[in-house]
Amino acid sequence: MASGRVVKALVVDDKYLIRKIYGTMLVRLGFEVTEAEDGEVAVNYFVEGNEYDLVLMDKEMKVMNGVEAIRTLKTMGVKEKMVAITSDESCNEAFLEAGVDAFLTKPVKFAELTSVLKTFDLLN
Amino acid sequence: MDYVNLRRQAASLRKGLFDQGYLDEQFYQLEDLQDDASPNFVEEVVTLFFRDSARLMANIDQALDKCVKDFNKLDVYMQQLKGSCTSIGASRMKTECTAFRECCRDENIEGSHSLSILNLCMRSFQKIKREHSVLRQKLESYFQLLRQAGPVECATRPNK
Repeated sequence: MASGRVVKALVVDDKYLIRKIYGTMLVRLGFEVTEAEDGEVAVNYFVEGNEYDLVLMDKEMKVMNGVEAIRTLKTMGVKEKMVAITSDESCNEAFLEAGVDAFLTKPVKFAELTSVLKTFDLLN
Repeated sequence: MDYVNLRRQAASLRKGLFDQGYLDEQFYQLEDLQDDASPNFVEEVVTLFFRDSARLMANIDQALDKCVKDFNKLDVYMQQLKGSCTSIGASRMKTECTAFRECCRDENIEGSHSLSILNLCMRSFQKIKREHSVLRQKLESYFQLLRQAGPVECATRPNK
């Protein structure tokens, strides 16, 4: 990862409370953060030509859930890293089939997020 | 104004919240995210939590009032509430949410009666409301003390 480049993250969750917490973690790690309140909004951001280095995706959302959103983004050819945020491991299989790159279990700890992002070489 | 005493009171209240199980490790995560750029982050997040949880609890209240026996729907609402509790470390509330969800799942047990399950859910929900009210009261007092005491250099964890 070249130092000085702005790294961008998209946080997808239907709860503003959750987006605020993850968003703050990512800002602390040097990301520029965009929020989406459901999978469909997230997909539309990509359709509009926006680019992100990282997507944090919740599972249960009303209009389009996280599994469906990741599947759609992968079908569209989106190659950026996608991390599923799950309540428990029972959700993992569906996300794996959709093409997710990593999992984090709620509540997400800053150290765990940092560790995953290091494996993706997304931290300056 | 005795700022030292106010800070001591705030610290004592905070320690009590952890010692009595109202808050867990996740609250430390929020405190660690508070910095000069976001000096009121924890209070903002807690405020969001109480706004969010009040809305969810109103939905559940309404469903229970109408004697709705759609336990899947009740479980979905409660899953959302539990998720919010988990995100700020509201430990006792989270435990009661889990208990409520167990009641909803009991509906699927052969021989169980929907009305008795509904009554169990109602009692369980009363516990959640009590925990919510107590936590709100304690956290409001805590943040009020912090505001009166003025800014501190950094958040510190209580000794374990």
